[in-house]
Amino acid sequence: MKLSNRYNRVNILTSIVVLIITGIIYYVVIHFILTEKLDRDLAVEENEINQYINTFHKLPLPASYLDQQIAYKNIKGITPEREFLYTTYYNPKEQENEPGRSLITVVHVNGKAIEVTITKSRVESEDLVRIILLITIGITLLLLLSLLLINRFVLNRLWRPFYSILNRMKAFEVTRMDNIENEPTKIDEFNELNKSVNAMAEKVRQDYKELKSFTDNASHEMMTPLAVINSKLDSLLQTESFTAQQGALLEDIYHATGRLSRLHQSLLLLAKIENNLIPDLQTIELKEMLEAKGRQFQELLEKDGLVLQENLTPVEIKMSRYLADILLNNLFSNALRHNVTGGHIHITLNKEALTISNSGKTVNLQTKIFDRFSKSVESEGMGLGLAITKQICNLYGFRIDYQELDGNHVFTVYFGA
Amino acid sequence: MKILVIEDEPALLESILAYFTGEGNICEHAADFASANEKISLYNYDCILLDLGLPGGEGLELLTKLKQLKKRDGVLIISARHSLDDKLAGLDLGADDYLVKPFHLSELKARVTAIIRRKNFDGNNVIVFNEITVDVSAMKVTVKGNLISLTKKEFDLLVYFLSNRNKVVTKNAMAEHLWGDEMDLSDDFDFIYTHVKNLRKKLLEAGAADYLRSVYGIGYKFGDI
Repeated sequence: MKLSNRYNRVNILTSIVVLIITGIIYYVVIHFILTEKLDRDLAVEENEINQYINTFHKLPLPASYLDQQIAYKNIKGITPEREFLYTTYYNPKEQENEPGRSLITVVHVNGKAIEVTITKSRVESEDLVRIILLITIGITLLLLLSLLLINRFVLNRLWRPFYSILNRMKAFEVTRMDNIENEPTKIDEFNELNKSVNAMAEKVRQDYKELKSFTDNASHEMMTPLAVINSKLDSLLQTESFTAQQGALLEDIYHATGRLSRLHQSLLLLAKIENNLIPDLQTIELKEMLEAKGRQFQELLEKDGLVLQENLTPVEIKMSRYLADILLNNLFSNALRHNVTGGHIHITLNKEALTISNSGKTVNLQTKIFDRFSKSVESEGMGLGLAITKQICNLYGFRIDYQELDGNHVFTVYFGA
Repeated sequence: MKILVIEDEPALLESILAYFTGEGNICEHAADFASANEKISLYNYDCILLDLGLPGGEGLELLTKLKQLKKRDGVLIISARHSLDDKLAGLDLGADDYLVKPFHLSELKARVTAIIRRKNFDGNNVIVFNEITVDVSAMKVTVKGNLISLTKKEFDLLVYFLSNRNKVVTKNAMAEHLWGDEMDLSDDFDFIYTHVKNLRKKLLEAGAADYLRSVYGIGYKFGDI
C-alpha cells in the first residue's frame, strides 16, 4: 500500500467520523434551541390567556390560526400537570396533519378548572433543521471531495521528486558513470534523500572502480609471467632432446598455459565490454561476416562431418567489428562444440533476428547458461563464451534467447531488444 | 636481418633473442626507454619489437620519435595491454603490427618476417627455400619451377613454416595463426594434422624434399634435413 493511500484512508475515515459526530451534535443542539423557542412562545400565549381571564373573568374565544390553535376542555376528576409535548394537529388550510408542539395547562375561571391546550406548528422549525442537516451533509461531501482532490493532485506533485529519485536508483548501474541527478525540490527530506543516494552511489562506484583497477592491474601483471612461461616453453621445445614421455608432458603444459591465457583474455574482455570501453562503432554487413565465418570454420565443420545450412538476408547493424567478430565466433564455436558427429548447424538471418540452431545431445540445460563459468559437465570450454556473448548483446541492446527445440539447441539474437 | 628488441622483462627478452638469433640475423636489445631511444636514433633496423610499458617512458613515444626521424624501420608492438585503443593508436602512429602477450615465439617470428618482407621487397614479395619458391603477394607456390595449387590454409601454413625454419612449431600456435586466437577453440588441435598431411603430400608430389617432421606429437618442424 502506498504511503499516500494509507494516509488518505486514515485521513478520510477520521474526517467522516468527525463530520458525522459534528452533524449529530449540531442537529441535537439546534433542535433543542428551536423547541425552547416554541416552548417560550407557548408560555407567552398561556400568559396572555391568564391575563385575559384575570381582566374579564372569562375564557377568550378558542381561536384557530394558521400556526396556532387553542382548545378548552372542562376537567372532570384529576387535574392534569402542566406539560409540554409533541403532537400532531390538523391544519385546516393545508388540510393535513402537521407536527406540532403543545402546552397543556390548567386555568381557573370563576372557580372552575379548565384544561387549556395550546398548539403551535413545528413545520417551520423542522424545515430549518432539515436545511441545516442538508447543509452539513453538503459541506461534509465537499470537504471529502476536496481532500481527495488534494491527495490526488497536490500529494502526487509533492511526492514526485521521491519517485523520480526512486526511478533513478532503479536505473542505476555501477558500470555507468552517470550521477543520480537532482530533481529540484524545496522539500528538505527529499533533498537529503537525494544527497544520501548520491553519496552512496558515489561510494559504490568508487569501490567498484578500485576493484576494477585491481582486477585490471592484476590481469596485466599476470600476463607478463604468462608470456615468459609461453616463450620459455617455445624455447625449451627448440632444444630437441626429449623422449616421447617428456613430449607429452610438454604438451600438457602448453594446453594449460593456453587455457590460462585465453581465460585471462576472456575476463579482460568481459570487463571491457561491461565498462563500455570498446567504442569503435561501425556499420557491419552481418551477412558477409557470417559467410566469412562459415569459411573460417569450414575445416572444423568437416572434421566432425557437420552440415552447415545458411539462410541469410543482408542485414546491416551498428556495432564494433571486433565485438561482432567475437559474438559470431562464440556462437559458431558453441554450435560446433555442443554438436554430434554428422550433425547440422542452421543459421537464419533476417532483419529481426539471427538464429543459430544446432543438433546436439539432449541435455537439460539450466537457465544459467549465460552465467559466467557455467558449463555442462562434458564441455571443454571455459564457460565464458556465452557470458561474453550475452554481454555484447546487452551492450548494443540486443536480446539473446536460448531454447531447446526437437533436440536442437537454438540461440536467437533479436536486434531490436 | 637486423632486429631491435625493446622489452623490459629479462626472461622474455632472453627467449626472444634466443629464438631470433641465428640464420644471419643480428639482434640487439634495449630494456628501458632511454637506451631504446638512443639505439633507434643511432642505428637503422629492419624491424623493431616494441613493448609499450617501459621503465622511463611510454613505448608509443618511441614510435612518434621514429616518425620524426623519418626512419623506415618496421615496428611490431608487443604489449600486455589487450586494448583496442592502444592497438589503433599504435597502428596510427605507424606501427606495422600489434601482438598481445602472451604470444607464441613462432607467431612473433612469422609476423616479424612478414613485416620485413613487405618493407624490403616492395611488391616483389617472394620467399625462396631450396627448391620451393613462394610468391606471397600473388599467393603462388612453385617447386622446381612447377606451380602447385594449395588451399588458402595450406598456403598460410607453408608461409608460417618458412618463417619458422628449423624451429619446432606447436599445433597450438599453428591453430591460432590460421584460425585466430579469438576463436575459443577446444584444446583438441588434431585437426591440424589433416592440413599438414595434405601440404606435405602436395610438396612431395611436386618433387620437393621431405622437409616436414612431426615432433613428439606437440608440433612440427620444417627445415633442412
